[in-house]
Amino acid sequence: MVSTVLSATMDGLKVEFVRVEADVSNGLPLLHMVGYLSAEVKDAGERVRTAIGNTGIRIPPKRIIINLSPATVKKRGASFDLPIAAAILTALGVIGEDALKDILLIGELNLEGKVLKVPGILPIVMEAQKKGCQTCMIPSENEMEGQVVQGINIIGVKHLQDVLDYVSHPAEFQKQHRGIHRAVRIKYGKEKQLDFCDIQGQEMLKRAVEVAVAGQHNLLLVGTPGSSKTMIAKRVPSILPPLTEEERIEISKIYSIMGLLKEDEPLVSTRPFRELHHTVTKTALVGGGMIPRPGEISLAHCGVLMMDELAEYPKNVLEVLRQPLEEHEIQIVRVRGAYVFPAEFFLVAAMNPCPCGYYPDMEKCRCTKSEVDHYLGKISQPFLSRIDICVEAPRVAYQDLKEQKTCDSSAAIRERVCAARNIQKARYQGKAFTTNSRIPESDIQTFCRLDEEGEKMMKLAYEKMNLTARTYYKVLRVARTIADLEGKTQIRCIHLSEALSYREMNHKYWES
Amino acid sequence: MEFEYWFAAVQNVSDQKKILLKNEIPSAREIYYIEEKEFHRFSFLTDAEISSILKSKEAWNLGVKLQELKKQKIRLVLFDSEEYPEKLKTIYHPPYALYVKGNLPSKDVPSIAIVGARKCTPYGEKCAMEFASSLSKCGAEIISGLASGIDGMSQRAAVNEDARTFAVLGSGVDVCYPRNHIGLYMDILEHEGGIISEQLPGTKPFGWNFPMRNRIISGLSDAVLVIEAKEKSGSLITADLAMDQGKEVYVLPGPVTSAYSQGCNRLIKQGAGILLTPEELMEDLKISSQISLRDFTKNRDEKEIRLERTEKLVYSCLDFHSKNIDTLAKEANIPALAVMNHLISLELKGLVKEISKNNYVKI
Repeated sequence: MVSTVLSATMDGLKVEFVRVEADVSNGLPLLHMVGYLSAEVKDAGERVRTAIGNTGIRIPPKRIIINLSPATVKKRGASFDLPIAAAILTALGVIGEDALKDILLIGELNLEGKVLKVPGILPIVMEAQKKGCQTCMIPSENEMEGQVVQGINIIGVKHLQDVLDYVSHPAEFQKQHRGIHRAVRIKYGKEKQLDFCDIQGQEMLKRAVEVAVAGQHNLLLVGTPGSSKTMIAKRVPSILPPLTEEERIEISKIYSIMGLLKEDEPLVSTRPFRELHHTVTKTALVGGGMIPRPGEISLAHCGVLMMDELAEYPKNVLEVLRQPLEEHEIQIVRVRGAYVFPAEFFLVAAMNPCPCGYYPDMEKCRCTKSEVDHYLGKISQPFLSRIDICVEAPRVAYQDLKEQKTCDSSAAIRERVCAARNIQKARYQGKAFTTNSRIPESDIQTFCRLDEEGEKMMKLAYEKMNLTARTYYKVLRVARTIADLEGKTQIRCIHLSEALSYREMNHKYWES
Repeated sequence: MEFEYWFAAVQNVSDQKKILLKNEIPSAREIYYIEEKEFHRFSFLTDAEISSILKSKEAWNLGVKLQELKKQKIRLVLFDSEEYPEKLKTIYHPPYALYVKGNLPSKDVPSIAIVGARKCTPYGEKCAMEFASSLSKCGAEIISGLASGIDGMSQRAAVNEDARTFAVLGSGVDVCYPRNHIGLYMDILEHEGGIISEQLPGTKPFGWNFPMRNRIISGLSDAVLVIEAKEKSGSLITADLAMDQGKEVYVLPGPVTSAYSQGCNRLIKQGAGILLTPEELMEDLKISSQISLRDFTKNRDEKEIRLERTEKLVYSCLDFHSKNIDTLAKEANIPALAVMNHLISLELKGLVKEISKNNYVKI
């Protein structure tokens, strides 16, 4: 007798539905699995057989064939254990023929028959709901995550026995297990976030960060060691505008696939902050693998990607960031097709001005000119030109450390940032972008118009400061943000000159 | 000429001995063809030297080598040729042969060497350029070593004034070191200057050749200006050599606290001349300056460029040593944001420059 159970797997960020078929027939006793399976799925056979046995059901010595279709999709992961077990039990007649019809099953089993949690529940349940599936049976540890999706019945199971209980008395089972409410509370600021008011002095730096966040401009901090570059960068999430509902779901889907969602927090509630170490590989950064998985830049989607010691990163790692910095997504092409992962991240990078860190303080700097050149040269011009705001982190003066001046708290800065973001959102209604940093070149003239005086200044700056076309647009975008922070519709000279001083470092020693 | 080139290229025979031998046998062709035993007539030649002369004939293809030289437009100027700089003949250990691309310094125009540290401060850079361009304007020729830092800066300034300048290299004349000065190298040649070296063309920039080339720098010039030098600096070798050769040495004084001026200040203590203004230098060197030179100890003519009050305040806080925005904000006691705005407008007026992110110096 052949039985069929519905399940699903992830292919990149795409959900693929999989039908698990089991056939029990007479012949030499064996359990054989087919359907383009990876090694870990093939292992499921032994696990499932033992789990069924330990649940108290005897498997008769028959020939059992399991097929996972469509056979063109590679099946990976341990999440097929539960549907395979269910298919076998149905084929054996332990479960009624139609009992699991229209139910999507997913979960890993251990030898005792316990159902263990698996990654990717959120996107799978969402897709199942779209497909018109009525019920999903998922591990109870993932139940909160499943409950996020409205309009679908979620059954959390702890043990294989629960499946049997459910099919015999569905209504009763659900009544007993309705422990978790549908309402998932939004928990903001649950963890104590770092605050900008902890940083004394560095007013310029804080201002630059505020501008960067307000317009979503990528940021590079250059400064001597110990000048609180990292401290500042770590506080960036505290002034980012709160997540919207769509953003939360989008991020949570990625986190779900990577198995990074917390059990009690089924939707990500704070913006991601991913801090990288410079030993990161290309693949870990942008994603990859035989069946591509999202990398760090996708995990930083809608959040912050922090790259400390930028000059220490291998060149090839930095260069792969160029495309995602421009397109805000990453495309990974494999023989079997192209995978697109979102990468709408906000880059905060920090570096020293030279190997020893003290340039241009000539009394302290021990580096030769060529060493400084070489160090700065590690970051290619194309990469630098994708960073809108570059600012120095100066040494903190003792006076600043001692003086307990009251400075703006993160909440105050966030308020200003949100106000500026709202202005932008209103201005770009109906456009494909929402922030200043994303204004395409073709729209610059419309949105970043300069007054006569500004035009004169820009022309002078373009010639005197050797700006390129790309820097020209960048400066205008940043100036737009600075004007927005002040609530001005017209960009004035004062905004423009501030934007000009945030332009990228120029490698001045490239003489001749 | 092919024989002359061969003889000039013989290794392990010192310049003086080549000159002595040339005095005995005026033609290199003869030296090429004389028998081994005849060499023993000359008591100043050791056996090792004789054998290296003989050996050098084997690997040397006369015609091809000369062709190569001609193809690269390198001229060979020998000690006994007319073109050989008179000034160089009188120094201790004059080079037997000079390889020249472009020209040699003229005889009737003062030539001034400007030397200094490769790693220098914006102050040194600024002064090097200022003196170099003033001297160039007055018709003097700048001689230096094409190195990064002071050397390159002063030669760049001379080229910018459309003046002739001469670079003496420690490598072969066809080897540009440092490589990123290739633009300057080409510009020097374009402006009728010259690249000079005593090393065989193609010689790599070996460290031990550099102190040797310093004697040519000082030898070719009438006076040597030392801009910035640390306690142990190659520029001090040049200054010492210049004093031995009886040349004037002028030194740019610097703060006693700066490591970059230690060597200079010590030279002053030993009695070197002090560089104050280009004008005074011209007077000392007896170079008539028709044009009025800018006294850079004063700020730019403030009537010429109108600055508003706070802008002037920011400008007056700036120095030739870099200061960052925070420091300036504290010194001028105005908000950093305002300083930033003023700096940009000063930069656009061409009065300041950003040397590292948010670090500015006066120009």
